[in-house]
Amino acid sequence: MESTDNLKQKKSFSQIWERFGTLAILILLVIFIALFSADKSKFLTTSNIINILYQSSDKIIIGLGEFFAILIAGIDLSVGSILALTGILAGKLMNAGMPVMLAVFLGCIVGGAVMGAINGLLVNFTGVHPFIITLGTNWIFRGLIMIISDARAVSGFPPEFKAIINYRIFGQIPMAIIIALLLALILWFVTTRTKLGRNIYAFGGNREAAWFSGINIKFYTLIVFIISGVCAGIAGMVITAKTGAAEPLAASGYETFAIAAAIIGGTSFFGGKGRVWNVVIGGLVIGLINNGLNMMRVDTFYQQVVMGALIISAVSLDTFVMRQKK
Amino acid sequence: MTKLIEVQHITKEFPGVTALDDISFDLNEGEVHVLVGENGAGKSTLMKILSGVYTPTGGNIIIDGNSYSHLNPTLSQELGISIIYQELSVINELSIAENLFIGRLPTKQVVGVPVVDWKFINGKAAEMLKMVGLKKNPSTVVEELSISEKQLVEIAKALVMETRILIMDEPTSSLTPEEIQRLFKIIRNLRSKGVGIIYISHKLDEINQIGDRVTVLKDGGLVGSKKLSEVQSKEEIVVMMVGRELKDKYFSTRQSSEDREDEIIFEARNISTPDQKVKDVSFKLHKHEILGFAGLMGAGRTELMNAIFGAGKKESGSIYLNGEEVQINDTYDAVKKGLALLTENRRETGFFHNFEIFKNVSAVENLKHSKLKGATGLINTNSEKQMAEQQKEALAIKCTSIFQNITELSGGNQQKVIIGKWLCANAEVILFDEPTRGIDVGSKSEIYKIMRQLVDDGKGVIMVSSELPELLSVCDRILVFRKGEISARLTSAEATEEKIILAAT
Ligand SMILES: Nc1ncnc2c1ncn2[C@@H]1O[C@H](COP(=O)(O)OP(=O)(O)OP(=O)(O)O)[C@@H](O)[C@H]1O
Ligand SMILES: [Mg+2]
Repeated sequence: MESTDNLKQKKSFSQIWERFGTLAILILLVIFIALFSADKSKFLTTSNIINILYQSSDKIIIGLGEFFAILIAGIDLSVGSILALTGILAGKLMNAGMPVMLAVFLGCIVGGAVMGAINGLLVNFTGVHPFIITLGTNWIFRGLIMIISDARAVSGFPPEFKAIINYRIFGQIPMAIIIALLLALILWFVTTRTKLGRNIYAFGGNREAAWFSGINIKFYTLIVFIISGVCAGIAGMVITAKTGAAEPLAASGYETFAIAAAIIGGTSFFGGKGRVWNVVIGGLVIGLINNGLNMMRVDTFYQQVVMGALIISAVSLDTFVMRQKK
Repeated sequence: MTKLIEVQHITKEFPGVTALDDISFDLNEGEVHVLVGENGAGKSTLMKILSGVYTPTGGNIIIDGNSYSHLNPTLSQELGISIIYQELSVINELSIAENLFIGRLPTKQVVGVPVVDWKFINGKAAEMLKMVGLKKNPSTVVEELSISEKQLVEIAKALVMETRILIMDEPTSSLTPEEIQRLFKIIRNLRSKGVGIIYISHKLDEINQIGDRVTVLKDGGLVGSKKLSEVQSKEEIVVMMVGRELKDKYFSTRQSSEDREDEIIFEARNISTPDQKVKDVSFKLHKHEILGFAGLMGAGRTELMNAIFGAGKKESGSIYLNGEEVQINDTYDAVKKGLALLTENRRETGFFHNFEIFKNVSAVENLKHSKLKGATGLINTNSEKQMAEQQKEALAIKCTSIFQNITELSGGNQQKVIIGKWLCANAEVILFDEPTRGIDVGSKSEIYKIMRQLVDDGKGVIMVSSELPELLSVCDRILVFRKGEISARLTSAEATEEKIILAAT
């Protein structure tokens, strides 16, 4: 009898970890950084917390898009280039005199959707794994950036643009954070309450069974890459407004952050498993590591090393805990 | 007689269920020990304890005088135990030869360096394939094989290594009678060499042909063991399994012929597939009719079903539902138009291993009432749960709750969940490809009853099966397939096993 109770506990523990493991990692990290930050009084202040959220917002946004690509056992390596290209597009449109909202909508949202659709269509048409396709389109989009921008940053936007994204609600919370949370809320709803979301999970779990159950794989592949592209476009809008310029080299290597956010958030590379809120926390972990390393006064050269090591540790811890299941 | 293995008082607990409760079991040298029981009785769990996959909660395993509290896969293999799992474990991306030697590729020394000995592997693989009767090149990628061919590969894989104890968990579930007889020859040969074999099956007719002793499990408990020489009839085993007598014929087939022009619910005209596995096939299905498809492995029945359902490519041909031609370009169209296809391979094309029971059950119904390839609309969790509870009840699915993950169910219960999924789809015409694979005797007749109920309610049912007795007792009309063509059309009155076999070969 005793052994039954044991098993029950073990099982519920692994279930709890699946749900809250990412949160546990975040808390561990907060404690770690709080202990080792050079100026302890500064780390856990409201302004620094808001600052962390602000810095994390773009990572959360692209992480959410990446989450969908990984959910169908794929990947999107082009999010960084889509981010940069949509920023440039929106910037060019604004500077050409288009109203700010329209320019952002066309450049970032529509632009991101089109680039995502290109990824999805190529995957469907060629049957090649998304890794290869998006590796290729990543270069193509980066090339387009150079052609369109002539390798120069686009800046001098109408002031409303910066004002909107950097507007602080209650004088405290920047819009970027609200955008990230709102997006997460919408995508959480999509994944848990809509048939669209359910079918994506089914596809990710067993592609063949999905096809034989009436789920059109190609259609959902296209949708998923459009979602990823739109998320990258929204991140492009946020980053462009934050920095006040659309840089051709913006977000180089951001696909790593996006993938890391999704994976730290417990999304399975085999597809079909993961939760939106855990990806949000995954994005926060990335932002927190960035911020914490500054707080601990780690030399910027070493920051990358530590960042890589921390990502590996976070994911290994998760794998280790989940393996204790049997 | 030497005991190869003895299991004493084994108990295995899973959260919420006792899968095995104080089971003792043994296997002698040169013996075929048959293990039977209803779906979820604990047969596979006991075998997974012997192959070292599961750790028992209590009890001992005695092999060669040594007592073990549990085994692990490596140890189990070293002790000479080989297993054919119920759910095929072949790897689709690898070749047949690679699958046979996976994890133990033999090497030879080339200038002092060990390299994989492909010549030996391919030679040995060809030999094994000949033995199990699979006419394929060892370098064929497993992905291209049908499920019965995969099952033969799985069997060959267990035979590559010299083993003393061979466990076969439903090895014949996907095999046709001819292949089963070949397997029995192999088993008899091994038995004469002193190998002990544990044989699990739901096909009770096989038991008398091959078994020496039978042990019955029920709900994780041991019902009893008997020498098969002392068993009078199949019914005696059924009573031990089910706890009551089962009447074999719950159903009566109807007379029906193709000439009947009334109430044609479904018609396929001149269907061909690009790979020529189906050649210009035409047939009609009447309302209130169960139509059976018979044929040998590779006769093109599965390919025909897939082509009709929009899951496989169709080169030519047209499909009519209730007299009107319908365009089916993908499986979504098929579902929307009122078709259902229960596939023959539950693990690969049937269930979603990341979903609970209730999400598996509602997967198709969700699509049915939405637009844009099923992407519109919200999930109604209450109706999903209701549907799942209903199917759990109707099909007697053994589970702790509908929120249990489907991978935690026994094979037969997984099959029932998928049947439930298609019943919820509320289709007009239902294509069942080997619906009773892995299903126990009692539940089988429940499923036949459900099929009869469906056609009584005005639907059409097509059943593909490699079990002739099943086809003969359930179907109103039988079409026999040979090499992608229909070679005979028999009414239930005309049809006999002999006629079907004659037309199929
Ligand atoms: N991994 C698991 N987690 C929880 N429960 C399990 C697990 N594996 C098996 N069970 C439960 O143990 C019981 C016995 O299952 P088992 O697979 O041994 O049945 P079986 O006799 O092989 O049935 P079938 O004829 O359907 O294959 C079932 O109730 C099943 O739900
Ligand atoms: Mg089993």
